[in-house]
Amino acid sequence: MTLREKIESGKFIVCAEIEPPKSCNGDVIRRRSRHFDGHVDAVNITDNQTATVRLSSIAAAKILLEEGLEPIMQMTCRDRNRLGIQSDLLGAAAMGIHNVLCLTGDHQKFGDQPEAKGVFDLDSVQLVAMVDQMNRGRLLSGQEMKKATEFLIGAAANPFAEPFEMRLIRLHKKIRAGARFIQTQPVFDLPLFTRWMEWAVDKGLNENCAILAGVMPIRSAKTIEYMKMNVPGIKTNEEHLRRLESASDPESEGVRIAVETIEALQEIKGLRGIHLMPARWLESISVIVHEAGLNRIN
Amino acid sequence: MIPEISTRNTESLSRGEKTLSNLLLLFENAVKVPLFRCQRCGECILSSTAFICSQRCPKQLRNGPCGGTDEDGSCEVYPERACVWYRIYYRSQFLKRIDLLYKFNRIHNWCLDKTSSWLNVYRKRIEPPILLTGPDTNALDESINHDA
Repeated sequence: MTLREKIESGKFIVCAEIEPPKSCNGDVIRRRSRHFDGHVDAVNITDNQTATVRLSSIAAAKILLEEGLEPIMQMTCRDRNRLGIQSDLLGAAAMGIHNVLCLTGDHQKFGDQPEAKGVFDLDSVQLVAMVDQMNRGRLLSGQEMKKATEFLIGAAANPFAEPFEMRLIRLHKKIRAGARFIQTQPVFDLPLFTRWMEWAVDKGLNENCAILAGVMPIRSAKTIEYMKMNVPGIKTNEEHLRRLESASDPESEGVRIAVETIEALQEIKGLRGIHLMPARWLESISVIVHEAGLNRIN
Repeated sequence: MIPEISTRNTESLSRGEKTLSNLLLLFENAVKVPLFRCQRCGECILSSTAFICSQRCPKQLRNGPCGGTDEDGSCEVYPERACVWYRIYYRSQFLKRIDLLYKFNRIHNWCLDKTSSWLNVYRKRIEPPILLTGPDTNALDESINHDA
Protein backbone atom coordinates (compact mmCIF):
# COMPACT_ATOMS: atom_id res chain seq x y z
CA MET A 1 0.00 0.00 0.00
CA THR A 2 1.32 3.42 -0.84
CA LEU A 3 1.09 6.38 1.49
CA ARG A 4 -1.72 7.83 -0.64
CA GLU A 5 -3.74 4.63 -0.34
CA LYS A 6 -3.11 4.47 3.40
CA ILE A 7 -4.27 8.05 3.84
CA GLU A 8 -7.36 7.40 1.75
CA SER A 9 -8.14 4.22 3.69
CA GLY A 10 -8.19 6.16 6.97
CA LYS A 11 -5.34 4.22 8.58
CA PHE A 12 -3.35 5.80 11.41
CA ILE A 13 -0.18 7.02 9.67
CA VAL A 14 3.33 6.88 11.09
CA CYS A 15 6.02 8.88 9.29
CA ALA A 16 9.59 9.57 10.31
CA GLU A 17 12.38 11.78 9.16
CA ILE A 18 15.91 11.11 7.95
CA GLU A 19 18.76 13.56 7.39
CA PRO A 20 21.05 12.91 4.43
CA PRO A 21 24.78 13.10 5.24
CA LYS A 22 27.05 16.07 4.62
CA SER A 23 29.03 13.98 2.16
CA CYS A 24 28.53 11.88 -0.97
CA ASN A 25 28.40 8.62 0.98
CA GLY A 26 25.09 7.00 -0.01
CA ASP A 27 25.76 4.07 2.32
CA VAL A 28 25.02 6.35 5.26
CA ILE A 29 21.44 6.63 4.00
CA ARG A 30 21.20 2.89 3.41
CA ARG A 31 22.48 2.26 6.93
CA ARG A 32 20.15 4.82 8.49
CA SER A 33 17.19 3.52 6.51
CA ARG A 34 17.38 0.17 8.34
CA HIS A 35 16.11 1.86 11.49
CA PHE A 36 12.87 2.63 9.67
CA ASP A 37 12.21 -0.55 7.77
CA GLY A 38 8.94 -2.12 8.85
CA HIS A 39 8.26 0.51 11.50
CA VAL A 40 6.93 3.47 9.52
CA ASP A 41 4.69 4.11 6.51
CA ALA A 42 6.89 6.69 4.86
CA VAL A 43 10.16 8.50 5.47
CA ASN A 44 10.75 12.23 5.02
CA ILE A 45 14.04 13.29 3.50
CA THR A 46 15.08 16.76 4.49
CA ASP A 47 16.17 19.23 1.84
CA ASN A 48 19.32 20.96 3.14
CA GLN A 49 17.65 21.54 6.49
CA THR A 50 18.70 24.55 8.56
CA ALA A 51 20.25 25.81 5.32
CA THR A 52 23.22 23.44 5.58
CA VAL A 53 24.50 21.66 2.48
CA ARG A 54 23.74 17.95 2.45
CA LEU A 55 23.27 15.21 -0.11
CA SER A 56 20.25 16.20 -2.20
CA SER A 57 16.81 15.09 -1.12
CA ILE A 58 16.02 13.70 -4.59
CA ALA A 59 19.07 11.44 -4.62
CA ALA A 60 18.43 10.34 -1.05
CA ALA A 61 14.78 9.63 -1.88
CA LYS A 62 15.87 7.44 -4.79
CA ILE A 63 18.22 5.50 -2.51
CA LEU A 64 15.37 4.95 -0.05
CA LEU A 65 13.16 3.69 -2.87
CA GLU A 66 15.84 1.16 -3.76
CA GLU A 67 15.91 0.09 -0.11
CA GLY A 68 12.19 -0.62 -0.30
CA LEU A 69 11.00 2.36 1.76
CA GLU A 70 8.51 4.97 0.68
CA PRO A 71 10.14 8.40 0.59
CA ILE A 72 8.54 11.80 1.14
CA MET A 73 10.82 14.22 -0.62
CA GLN A 74 11.03 17.62 1.00
CA MET A 75 11.26 20.53 -1.41
CA THR A 76 12.16 24.01 -0.24
CA CYS A 77 12.02 27.34 -2.05
CA ARG A 78 15.30 28.64 -0.67
CA ASP A 79 17.71 27.05 -3.11
CA ARG A 80 15.91 26.94 -6.44
CA ASN A 81 13.76 29.22 -8.50
CA ARG A 82 10.56 28.09 -10.24
CA LEU A 83 12.50 26.57 -13.14
CA GLY A 84 14.72 24.51 -10.89
CA ILE A 85 11.84 23.31 -8.74
CA GLN A 86 9.73 22.20 -11.70
CA SER A 87 12.60 20.39 -13.34
CA ASP A 88 13.58 18.67 -10.08
CA LEU A 89 9.97 17.63 -9.54
CA LEU A 90 9.77 16.14 -13.03
CA GLY A 91 13.01 14.29 -12.42
CA ALA A 92 11.77 12.96 -9.10
CA ALA A 93 8.48 11.82 -10.64
CA ALA A 94 10.36 10.03 -13.40
CA MET A 95 12.30 8.06 -10.78
CA GLY A 96 9.14 6.98 -9.01
CA ILE A 97 9.11 9.49 -6.15
CA HIS A 98 5.49 10.47 -5.67
CA ASN A 99 5.31 12.17 -2.28
CA VAL A 100 6.50 15.73 -1.90
CA LEU A 101 6.47 17.98 1.16
CA CYS A 102 6.37 21.64 0.13
CA LEU A 103 8.24 24.01 2.42
CA THR A 104 9.47 27.58 2.29
CA GLY A 105 12.76 26.56 3.85
CA ASP A 106 14.87 27.93 6.70
CA HIS A 107 16.55 31.24 6.02
CA GLN A 108 20.17 30.91 4.87
CA LYS A 109 21.23 32.97 7.88
CA PHE A 110 20.84 29.89 10.09
CA GLY A 111 23.05 27.67 7.97
CA ASP A 112 26.72 27.07 7.42
CA GLN A 113 26.87 29.58 4.56
CA PRO A 114 24.92 32.66 5.66
CA GLU A 115 26.57 34.66 2.88
CA ALA A 116 24.52 32.75 0.26
CA LYS A 117 21.71 34.37 -1.70
CA GLY A 118 18.31 33.00 -0.72
CA VAL A 119 16.06 32.47 -3.73
CA PHE A 120 12.49 32.40 -2.34
CA ASP A 121 11.04 32.80 -5.83
CA LEU A 122 7.90 31.03 -4.55
CA ASP A 123 6.55 30.60 -1.06
CA SER A 124 5.27 27.29 0.27
CA VAL A 125 1.62 28.05 -0.52
CA GLN A 126 2.53 28.92 -4.10
CA LEU A 127 4.70 25.81 -4.31
CA VAL A 128 1.74 23.65 -3.25
CA ALA A 129 -0.41 25.34 -5.91
CA MET A 130 2.27 24.80 -8.54
CA VAL A 131 2.62 21.09 -7.80
CA ASP A 132 -1.17 20.79 -7.89
CA GLN A 133 -1.15 22.40 -11.32
CA MET A 134 1.53 19.95 -12.47
CA ASN A 135 -0.68 17.13 -11.21
CA ARG A 136 -3.36 18.50 -13.49
CA GLY A 137 -0.96 18.24 -16.42
CA ARG A 138 0.25 21.80 -16.75
CA LEU A 139 3.58 23.44 -16.11
CA LEU A 140 3.65 26.89 -14.56
CA SER A 141 4.21 28.36 -18.03
CA GLY A 142 0.78 26.99 -18.97
CA GLN A 143 2.25 24.37 -21.30
CA GLU A 144 0.47 21.04 -21.28
CA MET A 145 2.60 18.07 -20.31
CA LYS A 146 2.24 14.78 -22.17
CA LYS A 147 2.20 13.00 -18.84
CA ALA A 148 0.95 14.66 -15.68
CA THR A 149 2.77 14.16 -12.38
CA GLU A 150 1.03 12.20 -9.65
CA PHE A 151 2.37 13.80 -6.52
CA LEU A 152 0.77 13.38 -3.14
CA ILE A 153 1.25 16.92 -1.87
CA GLY A 154 2.17 17.62 1.72
CA ALA A 155 2.83 20.81 3.63
CA ALA A 156 3.94 21.87 7.09
CA ALA A 157 2.18 23.75 9.86
CA ASN A 158 3.39 25.32 13.07
CA PRO A 159 0.54 25.29 15.60
CA PHE A 160 2.68 26.91 18.28
CA ALA A 161 3.76 30.19 16.72
CA GLU A 162 1.86 33.42 17.07
CA PRO A 163 -0.61 34.65 15.90
CA PHE A 164 -2.69 31.54 16.36
CA GLU A 165 -5.44 32.37 13.86
CA MET A 166 -2.99 33.44 11.16
CA ARG A 167 -1.46 29.95 11.34
CA LEU A 168 -4.83 28.42 10.64
CA ILE A 169 -5.48 30.82 7.78
CA ARG A 170 -2.19 29.79 6.21
CA LEU A 171 -3.02 26.13 6.73
CA HIS A 172 -6.38 26.79 5.14
CA LYS A 173 -4.64 28.31 2.10
CA LYS A 174 -2.28 25.36 1.78
CA ILE A 175 -5.15 22.88 1.80
CA ARG A 176 -7.12 24.90 -0.71
CA ALA A 177 -4.03 25.06 -2.90
CA GLY A 178 -3.92 21.25 -2.95
CA ALA A 179 -2.13 19.89 0.13
CA ARG A 180 -3.37 16.40 1.06
CA PHE A 181 -1.37 15.86 4.20
CA ILE A 182 0.08 18.18 6.82
CA GLN A 183 3.00 17.54 9.14
CA THR A 184 3.20 19.79 12.18
CA GLN A 185 6.12 21.03 14.22
CA PRO A 186 6.91 18.73 17.17
CA VAL A 187 4.27 18.78 19.86
CA PHE A 188 5.62 19.64 23.31
CA ASP A 189 2.60 21.64 24.42
CA LEU A 190 -0.31 19.20 24.31
CA PRO A 191 -3.08 21.52 25.56
CA LEU A 192 -2.21 24.15 22.94
CA PHE A 193 -2.04 21.52 20.21
CA THR A 194 -5.40 20.09 21.28
CA ARG A 195 -6.93 23.55 21.05
CA TRP A 196 -5.39 24.05 17.61
CA MET A 197 -6.75 20.70 16.40
CA GLU A 198 -10.20 21.54 17.75
CA TRP A 199 -10.17 24.72 15.73
CA ALA A 200 -8.88 22.96 12.61
CA VAL A 201 -11.59 20.29 12.90
CA ASP A 202 -14.19 22.97 13.54
CA LYS A 203 -13.22 24.63 10.25
CA GLY A 204 -13.32 21.30 8.43
CA LEU A 205 -9.62 21.41 7.62
CA ASN A 206 -9.23 17.70 8.39
CA GLU A 207 -11.87 16.61 5.90
CA ASN A 208 -9.74 16.51 2.77
CA CYS A 209 -6.37 16.51 4.36
CA ALA A 210 -4.62 14.18 6.81
CA ILE A 211 -3.10 16.10 9.71
CA LEU A 212 -0.06 14.36 11.21
CA ALA A 213 1.33 15.59 14.51
CA GLY A 214 5.08 15.99 14.90
CA VAL A 215 6.68 13.97 17.72
CA MET A 216 10.30 14.53 18.67
CA PRO A 217 11.88 11.90 20.90
CA ILE A 218 14.42 13.58 23.18
CA ARG A 219 17.31 11.68 24.62
CA SER A 220 18.70 14.10 27.19
CA ALA A 221 18.10 17.35 29.04
CA LYS A 222 20.96 18.85 27.04
CA THR A 223 18.96 18.50 23.81
CA ILE A 224 16.12 20.56 25.27
CA GLU A 225 18.55 23.23 26.46
CA TYR A 226 20.07 23.34 22.98
CA MET A 227 16.71 23.66 21.25
CA LYS A 228 15.67 26.44 23.60
CA MET A 229 18.70 28.45 22.60
CA ASN A 230 19.02 27.62 18.92
CA VAL A 231 15.81 26.53 17.24
CA PRO A 232 13.36 29.30 16.35
CA GLY A 233 9.64 28.64 16.51
CA ILE A 234 9.80 25.68 18.91
CA LYS A 235 8.37 25.77 22.41
CA THR A 236 10.04 23.29 24.74
CA ASN A 237 8.41 21.63 27.71
CA GLU A 238 9.72 22.41 31.21
CA GLU A 239 8.23 19.27 32.70
CA HIS A 240 10.04 17.09 30.16
CA LEU A 241 13.24 18.91 31.06
CA ARG A 242 12.73 18.14 34.76
CA ARG A 243 11.90 14.50 34.08
CA LEU A 244 14.96 14.02 31.88
CA GLU A 245 17.23 15.71 34.40
CA SER A 246 16.11 13.58 37.32
CA ALA A 247 15.90 10.27 35.41
CA SER A 248 18.56 7.65 36.09
CA ASP A 249 18.29 6.46 32.48
CA PRO A 250 17.41 9.55 30.41
CA GLU A 251 17.10 7.55 27.16
CA SER A 252 14.33 5.26 28.38
CA GLU A 253 12.69 8.26 30.02
CA GLY A 254 12.83 10.00 26.62
CA VAL A 255 11.15 7.00 25.00
CA ARG A 256 8.51 7.02 27.76
CA ILE A 257 7.77 10.72 27.18
CA ALA A 258 7.44 10.16 23.42
CA VAL A 259 5.12 7.18 23.91
CA GLU A 260 2.97 9.11 26.39
CA THR A 261 2.75 11.98 23.88
CA ILE A 262 1.70 9.59 21.11
CA GLU A 263 -0.94 7.98 23.30
CA ALA A 264 -2.36 11.38 24.18
CA LEU A 265 -2.30 12.42 20.52
CA GLN A 266 -4.23 9.32 19.49
CA GLU A 267 -7.09 10.55 21.66
CA ILE A 268 -7.38 13.83 19.73
CA LYS A 269 -10.33 13.94 17.37
CA GLY A 270 -9.48 14.38 13.71
CA LEU A 271 -5.79 13.59 13.99
CA ARG A 272 -4.72 11.12 11.33
CA GLY A 273 -1.24 10.12 12.37
CA ILE A 274 2.15 11.10 13.68
CA HIS A 275 5.41 12.24 12.22
CA LEU A 276 8.50 11.20 14.19
CA MET A 277 11.52 13.53 14.15
CA PRO A 278 14.29 11.62 15.88
CA ALA A 279 17.14 13.86 14.64
CA ARG A 280 20.17 11.63 15.19
CA TRP A 281 18.56 9.23 17.66
CA LEU A 282 17.36 6.77 15.04
CA GLU A 283 17.47 3.77 17.38
CA SER A 284 14.51 5.24 19.23
CA ILE A 285 12.14 4.78 16.26
CA SER A 286 11.59 1.04 16.48
CA VAL A 287 11.32 1.12 20.29
CA ILE A 288 8.78 3.95 20.31
CA VAL A 289 6.68 2.49 17.51
CA HIS A 290 6.66 -0.87 19.28
CA GLU A 291 5.84 0.51 22.74
CA ALA A 292 3.09 2.73 21.37
CA GLY A 293 1.56 -0.36 19.73
CA LEU A 294 1.83 1.09 16.24
CA ASN A 295 3.73 -1.75 14.56
CA ARG A 296 3.29 -1.69 10.81
CA ILE A 297 2.30 -4.85 9.07
CA ASN A 298 3.30 -4.60 5.45
CA MET B 1 -10.79 25.23 -15.10
CA ILE B 2 -7.35 25.67 -13.61
CA PRO B 3 -6.92 29.08 -11.96
CA GLU B 4 -3.96 31.25 -12.98
CA ILE B 5 -1.59 30.96 -10.06
CA SER B 6 1.08 33.20 -11.53
CA THR B 7 1.09 36.56 -13.26
CA ARG B 8 2.58 35.80 -16.62
CA ASN B 9 2.13 38.88 -18.77
CA THR B 10 5.67 39.25 -20.07
CA GLU B 11 5.17 41.55 -23.08
CA SER B 12 7.76 44.27 -22.72
CA LEU B 13 6.75 47.86 -22.24
CA SER B 14 6.73 50.05 -25.34
CA ARG B 15 8.98 53.09 -25.34
CA GLY B 16 6.26 55.58 -24.50
CA GLU B 17 4.94 53.28 -21.83
CA LYS B 18 8.35 52.94 -20.29
CA THR B 19 8.65 56.71 -19.99
CA LEU B 20 5.18 56.84 -18.46
CA SER B 21 6.07 54.01 -16.08
CA ASN B 22 9.21 55.80 -14.93
CA LEU B 23 7.29 59.03 -14.46
CA LEU B 24 4.56 57.31 -12.47
CA LEU B 25 7.14 55.38 -10.51
CA LEU B 26 8.59 58.69 -9.34
CA PHE B 27 5.26 59.59 -7.74
CA GLU B 28 4.51 56.09 -6.62
CA ASN B 29 7.83 55.77 -4.82
CA ALA B 30 7.46 59.18 -3.25
CA VAL B 31 4.19 58.02 -1.71
CA LYS B 32 4.68 54.33 -1.06
CA VAL B 33 8.28 54.11 0.06
CA PRO B 34 8.00 56.44 3.05
CA LEU B 35 4.44 55.42 3.92
CA PHE B 36 4.58 51.66 3.49
CA ARG B 37 8.31 50.99 3.08
CA CYS B 38 7.40 49.72 -0.37
CA GLN B 39 9.98 47.40 -1.90
CA ARG B 40 8.90 48.29 -5.48
CA CYS B 41 7.98 44.80 -6.65
CA GLY B 42 5.66 46.26 -9.30
CA GLU B 43 2.89 43.87 -8.32
CA CYS B 44 1.38 45.61 -5.35
CA ILE B 45 -0.74 43.64 -2.87
CA LEU B 46 -0.84 46.33 -0.18
CA SER B 47 -4.63 46.54 -0.37
CA SER B 48 -4.97 42.92 0.75
CA THR B 49 -2.19 43.05 3.36
CA ALA B 50 -3.63 45.87 5.48
CA PHE B 51 -1.24 48.37 3.87
CA ILE B 52 1.90 46.78 5.22
CA CYS B 53 4.36 45.75 2.52
CA SER B 54 4.79 41.97 2.69
CA GLN B 55 7.93 42.17 0.56
CA ARG B 56 9.88 43.45 3.56
CA CYS B 57 9.86 39.87 4.84
CA PRO B 58 13.39 38.42 4.46
CA LYS B 59 11.81 35.53 2.54
CA GLN B 60 9.49 37.86 0.59
CA LEU B 61 6.53 35.70 1.58
CA ARG B 62 3.30 36.78 -0.10
CA ASN B 63 0.95 34.29 1.56
CA GLY B 64 1.44 34.51 5.29
CA PRO B 65 4.18 34.05 7.90
CA CYS B 66 6.81 31.31 7.99
CA GLY B 67 7.00 29.06 11.03
CA GLY B 68 9.76 31.02 12.74
CA THR B 69 7.89 33.97 14.26
CA ASP B 70 8.79 34.28 17.94
CA GLU B 71 6.22 34.48 20.70
CA ASP B 72 6.56 38.23 20.91
CA GLY B 73 6.07 38.48 17.14
CA SER B 74 9.66 39.19 16.22
CA CYS B 75 11.22 38.01 12.98
CA GLU B 76 13.52 34.97 13.26
CA VAL B 77 16.01 36.44 10.80
CA TYR B 78 16.12 39.97 12.24
CA PRO B 79 15.02 39.58 15.88
CA GLU B 80 15.04 43.35 16.35
CA ARG B 81 12.21 43.66 13.80
CA ALA B 82 8.59 42.63 14.04
CA CYS B 83 7.47 39.91 11.64
CA VAL B 84 5.64 41.76 8.85
CA TRP B 85 2.95 39.09 8.71
CA TYR B 86 2.42 39.37 12.46
CA ARG B 87 1.73 43.07 11.93
CA ILE B 88 -0.41 42.39 8.85
CA TYR B 89 -2.57 39.99 10.85
CA TYR B 90 -3.21 42.36 13.74
CA ARG B 91 -3.87 45.34 11.50
CA SER B 92 -6.21 43.25 9.32
CA GLN B 93 -8.06 42.30 12.47
CA PHE B 94 -8.31 45.96 13.46
CA LEU B 95 -9.54 46.91 9.98
CA LYS B 96 -11.92 43.90 9.95
CA ARG B 97 -10.31 42.59 6.78
CA ILE B 98 -9.30 39.11 7.94
CA ASP B 99 -11.21 37.59 5.00
CA LEU B 100 -8.62 39.08 2.62
CA LEU B 101 -5.89 37.01 4.28
CA TYR B 102 -7.56 33.84 2.98
CA LYS B 103 -6.87 34.89 -0.59
CA PHE B 104 -4.05 33.47 -2.62
CA ASN B 105 -1.47 35.98 -3.80
CA ARG B 106 -0.13 34.88 -7.15
CA ILE B 107 3.44 33.90 -7.90
CA HIS B 108 5.40 37.10 -8.51
CA ASN B 109 6.19 38.18 -12.05
CA TRP B 110 9.76 39.41 -11.94
CA CYS B 111 9.33 41.16 -15.31
CA LEU B 112 7.34 43.74 -13.35
CA ASP B 113 10.05 44.36 -10.77
CA LYS B 114 10.80 48.09 -10.35
CA THR B 115 7.97 49.16 -12.64
CA SER B 116 4.94 51.21 -11.69
CA SER B 117 2.28 48.98 -10.23
CA TRP B 118 -0.31 51.72 -10.76
CA LEU B 119 0.34 51.50 -14.48
CA ASN B 120 0.40 47.70 -14.26
CA VAL B 121 -3.03 47.70 -12.64
CA TYR B 122 -4.37 50.12 -15.25
CA ARG B 123 -2.95 48.03 -18.11
CA LYS B 124 -4.32 44.85 -16.46
CA ARG B 125 -0.89 43.29 -16.17
CA ILE B 126 -1.66 42.27 -12.61
CA GLU B 127 -4.76 40.79 -11.12
CA PRO B 128 -6.16 40.82 -7.61
CA PRO B 129 -5.61 37.84 -5.29
CA ILE B 130 -7.98 34.91 -5.68
CA LEU B 131 -9.63 32.33 -3.49
CA LEU B 132 -8.23 28.98 -4.56
CA THR B 133 -10.61 26.06 -4.62
CA GLY B 134 -8.70 22.84 -4.64
CA PRO B 135 -10.67 19.68 -5.37
CA ASP B 136 -13.43 18.96 -2.82
CA THR B 137 -12.94 21.95 -0.60
CA ASN B 138 -16.52 23.19 -0.60
CA ALA B 139 -16.75 22.68 3.13
CA LEU B 140 -14.01 25.22 3.56
CA ASP B 141 -15.99 27.97 1.84
CA GLU B 142 -18.48 28.14 4.63
CA SER B 143 -15.82 28.61 7.25
CA ILE B 144 -14.49 31.65 5.40
CA ASN B 145 -17.90 33.27 5.24
CA HIS B 146 -18.18 32.56 8.91
CA ASP B 147 -14.95 34.48 9.57
CA ALA B 148 -15.84 37.38 7.34
